[in-house]
Formats: sequence, structure tokens, C-alpha cells
Amino acid sequence: MAEPLLEARGLGVRRGGRVVLEGISFVARPGVVLGVLGPNGAGKSTLLKAVAGLLPSSGQLRLGGDDARALDARARARRLAYVPQHSVLDAALPVREVVAQGRFAHGGAWGPLAAVDRAAVDRALAMTDSTALAERPFSALSYGERRLVLLARALATEAPVLLLDEPTAALDVRHALELLAVLRRRAEGGAAVLVVLHALAEAASACDEALLLAGGRCVAAGPVAEVVAAEPVRRVYGVELVPGAHFGYRTAGPPRDGGS
Amino acid sequence: MELRARVTMAALVLLLAGVAVAALLLGQAHLSDPGLRDTLLELRAVRVGAAALAGAALAVGGAVLQGVFRNPLVSPDILGTTAGATLTGQLALFALAVVLPGRAHQGVGVAADMVLPLGCLAGAGLALAALLAFARDRTSPLGLLLTGFILSSLFLSLSAFVTSLAQNSWEVGRAMVAFSLGGVGGVSRRQLLLATPLVAAGTGALWGWGRSLDVLLSGEEEASTLGVAVGPARRWIIVWVAVLTAAAVSVGGNVGFVGLVVPHALRPLIGVQHRRLIPAAALLGASFLVACDVLARTIPARTELPLGVVTGIIGAPVFLVMLRRWQEELRHG
Repeated sequence: MAEPLLEARGLGVRRGGRVVLEGISFVARPGVVLGVLGPNGAGKSTLLKAVAGLLPSSGQLRLGGDDARALDARARARRLAYVPQHSVLDAALPVREVVAQGRFAHGGAWGPLAAVDRAAVDRALAMTDSTALAERPFSALSYGERRLVLLARALATEAPVLLLDEPTAALDVRHALELLAVLRRRAEGGAAVLVVLHALAEAASACDEALLLAGGRCVAAGPVAEVVAAEPVRRVYGVELVPGAHFGYRTAGPPRDGGS
Repeated sequence: MELRARVTMAALVLLLAGVAVAALLLGQAHLSDPGLRDTLLELRAVRVGAAALAGAALAVGGAVLQGVFRNPLVSPDILGTTAGATLTGQLALFALAVVLPGRAHQGVGVAADMVLPLGCLAGAGLALAALLAFARDRTSPLGLLLTGFILSSLFLSLSAFVTSLAQNSWEVGRAMVAFSLGGVGGVSRRQLLLATPLVAAGTGALWGWGRSLDVLLSGEEEASTLGVAVGPARRWIIVWVAVLTAAAVSVGGNVGFVGLVVPHALRPLIGVQHRRLIPAAALLGASFLVACDVLARTIPARTELPLGVVTGIIGAPVFLVMLRRWQEELRHG
């Protein structure tokens, strides 16, 4: 089995004296799309931010075998890319410049982008089918186009670990499918992809493995078919998986494992 | 760089050259008198240099602050930085008047001349530190503006207090009032030579931070994940803005609105990338303030108009229009 690119052991986060994440352990291996699932408030976004180094956390966190917390911002950015659920970027920067920000941690701070960096930007634009947008101002794009461009920026880093927080939220079905297909291709290229998803059906089709969180703890982990299964889903969400039903499930009483 | 940006840069260089030549030729006194020509040209050259330096420094400071705070309505004067530098600049002048009575407004040696820019630097740094300390939520545009307004009011009140203390000496009191109203009329060549490396270093350093500033447009969290060491980057950027503001105030006194108006005029033409915006802002800021100084000394009035009054008359309505447009943008999402 391939060496893990990302490894968490007993990861915990406290915010304002309150435990919001506790005892989370997982490994992310190359080629694997790992879904992070759970109801609202389960700690999915907190987990991603902790792994990205945006929140102080306890426990062990290793990136490519090294202590992730010992890496400086540039070294971490070369190994791990993060796409937030909501980006605050709203500037009229040309799309190509936005995607080129993914190379910030690679080149020198002074000179123009090197040929290798420009090539990475072109590949990322092509991979997300955003080449036609390259010269347009980012602020003039639609929501779906912005999501693809931000994904392109993360892909341009060529970091082996890719974190995405609800990348398909508020996307129409076509944009969502395109985006998930890009993630699959990136995983096939050797990356480990950690993606927060809300829709269980989407997770079941897009992910290889999954972590199911509830109340800041991990309730189930493993192959996605075992996690998005009747028992854990009933326990966490209080719904029954029903083949052929609307959305694939129906309510079945209150959740038992801290779902909100 | 695309064609429009290149053309704009070339036009800005030509504009600055044209405005500078016009500033040398125009004024209340005529150059036709051969006995006065050399003296007038030298006096005007120092004046043009001082206005250009102060304008460049304030415009670059504004462009950078708008980027680092992701707020289109901030500039060194709106955030109280200029007022802070003015206050401590006045304190420096006052201290010089006490230590070297009767010579505070004159050239009194390099060490004494350094007191003014260093005094301004202390105030600019203090004002920005206070802003960062009190405006905890820097993502709140209105919170930032209000904190800047309060700080500015505080510094200007203290500044008026210092001015009132200085009224015992007519010369010092007059120098204080002139400093708080802004102007480049009394700048010495030595002051200009001291401020020039500060403005050059500040502009160069901030140009160097340009790529980080572009990434910071995505907010501090995203910038951090893209490899920007956000804490050190923000600290150094703020330090260099303080240096620029201090240099500008040390030669031009309390001049407002340059840092607000100039970057806004440029962005549609040159784009938002800081590696372009910073040199363009330096050029247009310099031209703008040199032109304002020409207006200040050629508009018929009983005495020369203070430079800060001219920039205020032009800048305040522009700020109000921008504020209204920004509110409409917020309302319509």
C-alpha cells in the first residue's frame, strides 16, 4: 500500500474553551478521494482548517512524513492546497493571475513567473476547462466559474494533498459533476484528495473512502460504501437510506450521534 | 503587460514631466527677470520635488493600504496615519524650538533636520499600531473607517493643542499652522534630500511585496495556505507604509485624499496587480500633488492657499461619490 501523504492521529481542536473536534485519526493516500461527511456543525470545515494549519490543533499531523506544524507557510503550501467553502476574493485580477497565485510558494518573490510555473498555470486552467476565462477579471465571473478558477489555483500548486470544503455547494449539477471529475483526475495523477461533501449520494459516487463526523468526533471511517451505509447514516442523520426515494433517503426519527 | 497598461504608464511619465515643467514656469513671480530667474527656478524645483515626493509616497501608501485591508475607502489620511505623523512632526518642531529657540523653522544641520522625519515616523507607526489594535475585525470595512476617523480626530485635536502651545513664538506658531494645513513652500533642499531615500526605499520595498499583496486580496486565511507568511508580511507592509507617510508629511505636512483618489483613478486603466499599481500610483500621485501645488500658488488669494486645502477641496467630494457608489454596490450585492 502506498505511503500516506497526510496522516492525522488524535487530532483535536478547541475554540473558545470548547472542544469542537476530538480524537480524529485518518490517513490520506495517493490516488484516494477521501470524503469528509457529517451533518451541519459536525466539525467538517474545522477539520479541514486544522489540517490546513489555519486553526491551532492538538494531536499528530504529518504531511509527507514530516511534522506539518514544523513546516513554514511556503513549504506547507507546496505540499498541501486548500480551497475554502467561501473565498473572500472579489478583486478584478485577471483569472490567469489568480491561478498563478498557486505558484506563489514555488518561485522567487521578485522575478516574473518561471516557465515551469507558467506551464503549471496553463495545465491547471486546462484541467478545469477555464482556459477561455484566463484573461477575464475574476470579479466578473459567475459563482460556478469562480469555484472552478479557485480549484484551478489549488491545482496549480501541484501539491500532493488537496483539501476542498464543500466545493459543489451552490453549484448547478453540470458544474458540480465537472468539478468532481477534476478531483478524480487529480487523484489518478497521484494526489490525495480530502473533500467535504454534504450530499451523501454525491459522496458515494465521488469518493473512495469517507470519514463520518458527528459532534466533533469520528463516527465511522473506511471505504465509502461502508460509511454511507444504512446503519451509520441512520445513527448520525436519523434518516433511512431508501433506494429510489427522493434524494435517496427519508427521515427515521432523531439522530443518535450528535447530529444537529 | 498588455498594451493599455503600457500606454498608461508612458502617459503617466509624460504627464509628470509636463506637470513638472509647468510647475517650474508658473507662479506669481515672472521668470522674465534675469536677476530672479535662477533663484525662482531653484526655489520652484525644490518645491516641485517636495510635492512630487509627498504625492508619490501618499498615493503608494493608499494603494497598498487599500490592498492589505481589502477596503477601497482607506488611505493614510482616512486611517489617521497622516494625522498621527502630523502630530508627532509638530511635537518634533516644538521640541526643536525649545532646544534651538528661533531656528526651528530653518535649516539647522542634518541631525536637527532628521528630527522632523523621525518624529513623523514615530507618529505614523503609532497611528497604524493603534489602528491594528483597536480595529480588531479588520474585515469590517465600516469598523476600520470609523476607527481611522476616531484616531484621526484624536490626533488632530492633540495637534491643535500643540499648535496652541506654540503660539508664544510667532514664527514657531506659524510653522505649526502651516504644517497642519499642508504645504511644500518652506521645504529646504536638505529636507528634500533626506526624504528622497525614504520614499525610494518605501516604494521599492512595497513593490517587492507586490505579489504578496496580490495574494492577500484573497484574505489572510487563503493567503496563508498559498504560502504567504501573513504576520511578517503584514507587519513589514505596515512599516513601509508608515515610512512613506512619514516622509510625505515631513516635506508636505498634513495633506489629505491623495492616497484615496489616485489609486482609484488608476485601477480601471492599469489593473489591480500591485506590481503595476505601485509605480503607476507613484507617478500619478506625484503629478497630482505638483499640479495641486501649482493651483495653491497661482489661484488669486490674499496669501498662498495651503496645499492641504486644495487636495481637500478636490478629494472630499470624490470620497463622497466613492462612498455612495460603494454603498450602492453593497445594497445590490
